[in-house]
Amino acid sequence: MQHAERWITREMLVAFLIFGTLPLWVDSVGLYSYIGVEVVIWMIFALGFNLLLGYTGLPSFGHGAFFGIGGYAFGWFQFNMMPNLWLALLFAIVMTSIIGALVALFVSHRRGIYFALLTIAFGQIFFFIASKWTSLTGGEDGMLNIKRLPADFGFVSFSLQDNTALYFFVFIVFALVVIVLWRLTHSPFGKVIRAIKQNEMRVGFLGYNVYFYKWMVFTISCAVSGLAGGLFAMAQEGAYVQVMSLQWSGIVVLMTLIGGGFVSFWGAVVGTVVFFLARDLLGTYTEAWLLWYGLMFMVLVMFKPEGIAGMWQDAVKALRRRQIVASSPSAHPVGK
Amino acid sequence: MTNKFKAKISRRDLIKTTALTAAGATLAPFMGPWKYNRVWAADKPILIGLTHDASGQFANSGQAEKRGTIMAIDEANANGGVLGRKIEYIWADTETTPATGSRVAERLITRDEVAFMVGAIQSGVANAISQVCQKYGCVYFNTNSSSPTESGKNCHRVKFVWDGSGANFARAAASGAVTKFGKNWILLTNDYVWGHNTSKATQEILESLGGSVADNILVPVGTRDYSSILLKLQQAKPDVVATAVGGDDYKALRQQVQELQLDTKMAWLSNQLDWPDIYGAGAEAAFGVFAATWYHYLDLPGVDDFVKRYQERWPDTRMNVPGNVTYNGYVAMRELLRAIEEAGTTNNIKVIKTLEGRVMKADDRMQHHDAWIDENSHHVQQTIYLATRQDQPRDDSDYFKILQTMDPKEVANPGESACNLESYDDTPTYEM
Amino acid sequence: MDFLYNLLPHLVNGIALGLLFALIALGFMLIIGVMEVINLAHGSLFALGAYIALVIITPEGGLAMPFLENWFGIAIVPRYVAALILAPFVVAFVGMGLEFCLRRTYGKDPLYGLLLTFGAALVIEEAIRVIWGHGEYVLPIPKEIRGGFIHADLIWSTYRVYAAIFSIAMIGLLWLFIEKTPYGAIIKAGAHDSEMVRALGINLPKLRTLVFGFGTALAAIAGIIMAPIWGIRPQVGVDAVVPAFVVIVLGGIGSFWGAVIAGLMVGMVVGLTAAFFSDWSLLSMYLLLLAVVTFRARGLLGKASALEN
Repeated sequence: MQHAERWITREMLVAFLIFGTLPLWVDSVGLYSYIGVEVVIWMIFALGFNLLLGYTGLPSFGHGAFFGIGGYAFGWFQFNMMPNLWLALLFAIVMTSIIGALVALFVSHRRGIYFALLTIAFGQIFFFIASKWTSLTGGEDGMLNIKRLPADFGFVSFSLQDNTALYFFVFIVFALVVIVLWRLTHSPFGKVIRAIKQNEMRVGFLGYNVYFYKWMVFTISCAVSGLAGGLFAMAQEGAYVQVMSLQWSGIVVLMTLIGGGFVSFWGAVVGTVVFFLARDLLGTYTEAWLLWYGLMFMVLVMFKPEGIAGMWQDAVKALRRRQIVASSPSAHPVGK
Repeated sequence: MTNKFKAKISRRDLIKTTALTAAGATLAPFMGPWKYNRVWAADKPILIGLTHDASGQFANSGQAEKRGTIMAIDEANANGGVLGRKIEYIWADTETTPATGSRVAERLITRDEVAFMVGAIQSGVANAISQVCQKYGCVYFNTNSSSPTESGKNCHRVKFVWDGSGANFARAAASGAVTKFGKNWILLTNDYVWGHNTSKATQEILESLGGSVADNILVPVGTRDYSSILLKLQQAKPDVVATAVGGDDYKALRQQVQELQLDTKMAWLSNQLDWPDIYGAGAEAAFGVFAATWYHYLDLPGVDDFVKRYQERWPDTRMNVPGNVTYNGYVAMRELLRAIEEAGTTNNIKVIKTLEGRVMKADDRMQHHDAWIDENSHHVQQTIYLATRQDQPRDDSDYFKILQTMDPKEVANPGESACNLESYDDTPTYEM
Repeated sequence: MDFLYNLLPHLVNGIALGLLFALIALGFMLIIGVMEVINLAHGSLFALGAYIALVIITPEGGLAMPFLENWFGIAIVPRYVAALILAPFVVAFVGMGLEFCLRRTYGKDPLYGLLLTFGAALVIEEAIRVIWGHGEYVLPIPKEIRGGFIHADLIWSTYRVYAAIFSIAMIGLLWLFIEKTPYGAIIKAGAHDSEMVRALGINLPKLRTLVFGFGTALAAIAGIIMAPIWGIRPQVGVDAVVPAFVVIVLGGIGSFWGAVIAGLMVGMVVGLTAAFFSDWSLLSMYLLLLAVVTFRARGLLGKASALEN
């Protein structure tokens, strides 16, 4: 358990090593930098989403809405206020937090399926507003010509026009998000939300204000989604309404679950990578790639709902057990 | 830009080749669809990226245009290729989703290194792809998205728009209908950009001819039930209902209008009837007056032969005759390949200059009037046909009766002046 | 007065529409109420029902085999009736297969059941694309239920009247089945006291399979009834599952009459907004849902359910 208290863990170092060096090897495995950009952005989104699903046990089926709002906020700010990367991203975060906090007022008293249903309803409402409010969002044409603003540090400014440069930027944001969320989920706050997942009523009896915690975690999750949405609009140089639809909100659930968001912090990350690879690979072979992906998903839910991270943990446990048998009985327990 | 790009490519090719050799056959299954890892350079094929939807709302149309573009490629290859090089294509599903369009375009350019890109049904997807293409300089053909904004405010130097626009169709359909059916109109508008633009064009024409719009009923995207709206129309009793409703929404509307037999009670004017959207619904469904750019029973030389070639190439397709969407894909791709041949290079600026202002003969395009590519909007100005339901069908596939043939000049959209193309200097050089 | 005269047809239309929404939600309600499973594949099975009916009614559906020529040669009425009876059976088998997969999620977080059916929804929709393609089909129906008739200066659709009466009949039959037959009593008991059912020597797993099959058969029936109004295309299921969802939450999980009343409410609200503020018609149903659920957490007539955990 002791490494959970640290700021930087072994898993983080591995992840940072893999993703931090991605532009160096991505071409040689037949992929391309831009997909790296999207994967990392969706990992941020999935990590934020998993605060709700994996940690608090709240299945939001309308999270695409916040991802989309973040994109529009990012674009609106740079067009109408100031073309500054930091402020535009901050604005995306603040806007989604505010809207998320308002929605959370309605949904934080709910759990289980009722929670899911209400988030669907809110997701649909935001989707319709975005497609209808064409003067702001451009409707189905999209909000176009969003700029990849330079990362200006005052004394030095980096252009993010190039995909590789943009990749390193989103990677750094990803690393920061990972560290912050890891701390958050291993703080007393994190313990409370996990306890809520186990048994909401008991947490209430212990004197915690369950609604406040659920409201808070929903708002934080929306803020992270908004950040990811802003980055996505920057990567795509446009913001489009379809990411707010029910189908796309469902996709983030699929990704997080397949990866194993229920049992591991890293589930969301692994799931995103698997989803993008499946889409890019299967998608070129067959028009019906979703059929195979859906089947894979069903099998996983049936036999290993803990997802890929769950399988990994089982494998590690089995390995440790064998080692324990082989060597001394006083090995450290596995902690995650 | 050019130099930088080329340097990058050769390095990457080198890495790829090495990696491939090292990885050997065992890794082959994981190397997935990377079948375009070319090692030859001398007579390297010209690779074209096809961006046709295979899922989402316009999957059916996307696949129809794909059949057209592939036919043109096959025919060019049968004639010895272009510039002595073979034409190859790589297709990626754009999922009727703009965000996917961006990703696919980035991938096709930076990984697959396509020379050109072709394909679009929905304007958001076309915009997403064309933004990426403009950034790199890759010439892109929007084959079938008819939103007027495509050749208006969202035009680009690298993008060429091949379908008639909603504004063209509205002009064509509206001008005849005022004298024929009456001046009291109701508009039925899909509540999004394309719907609003199209209805606006209709209204302008109508008012210039002395008619008036009694009501503009907005229909949200995704509407499946029109009973209330149809009741309202019955109560209002307009002379003409002009619809700008698209995709699945239109299919549901069509079904319910027929069911109520309202198709005979008032004149229905619709924008464009894409062949994949009506095929399978029967001639009955083609009520009202609507516009089209092409029809497989046009009485012109070459049409029959084209239909036959289509049937030979796609014998197992349910849609057993080509429609306007396949046609657009075909003529667009054919023209692209010809322009490359004429330019003598795949250099983007040279190909763009070959295309700008290009006149395409009526006979050659299987239409009644010559068509040309407007050099200021990059929009193909072409013949628009007005059609209605076929009352004496020649066979199962004969749904339309052509009422009128409109000259491109009659239906030109003055709104295209909103288009402001990037300068050649601001367009990066791109050559694969 | 003039306004009222204009309003009246819309009220009638709202009720007819509401009955259709209730019909769409019936199978969803049965499965959620009895088994506490959110069947997200409801929409895809709804679509599958329409496709199977298509296969039975017309050779265009893909079954144009020589020995079936005689079948497709007979009058349309018996073919239509056959489709209305057989297609739900076929879909029920698919549903029972899905229930078999679902067994592994029983006793776990109800979220897993929802996710499994979400996956199934994807798979069934994609399978439809693979088998029947992306294109549009039209379900042929007997001419007796086609066309319109004139009443009070307005043309009314014969098919809508037929569909509304059909919905009332289905609602009535289902109610009778659940409330007045021993099977219904067992089903209800199984939902609330599985120990008791087992003690009575009833095979609970078999009961659940049958209920799930029955619920999916109802989805298929709704699909066939809605096909001539909405058209048949692979993604039509999404159009069905979302309203079904709204109706069930609005009515309250586990409540039969709650769902029926909610269906009528949704129909009325959607119909009236479409008539007077048409651009808000789709949003209206979600706003109604939010308004009701904010004040009544379990919907109109909902009872406590394991799904809240």
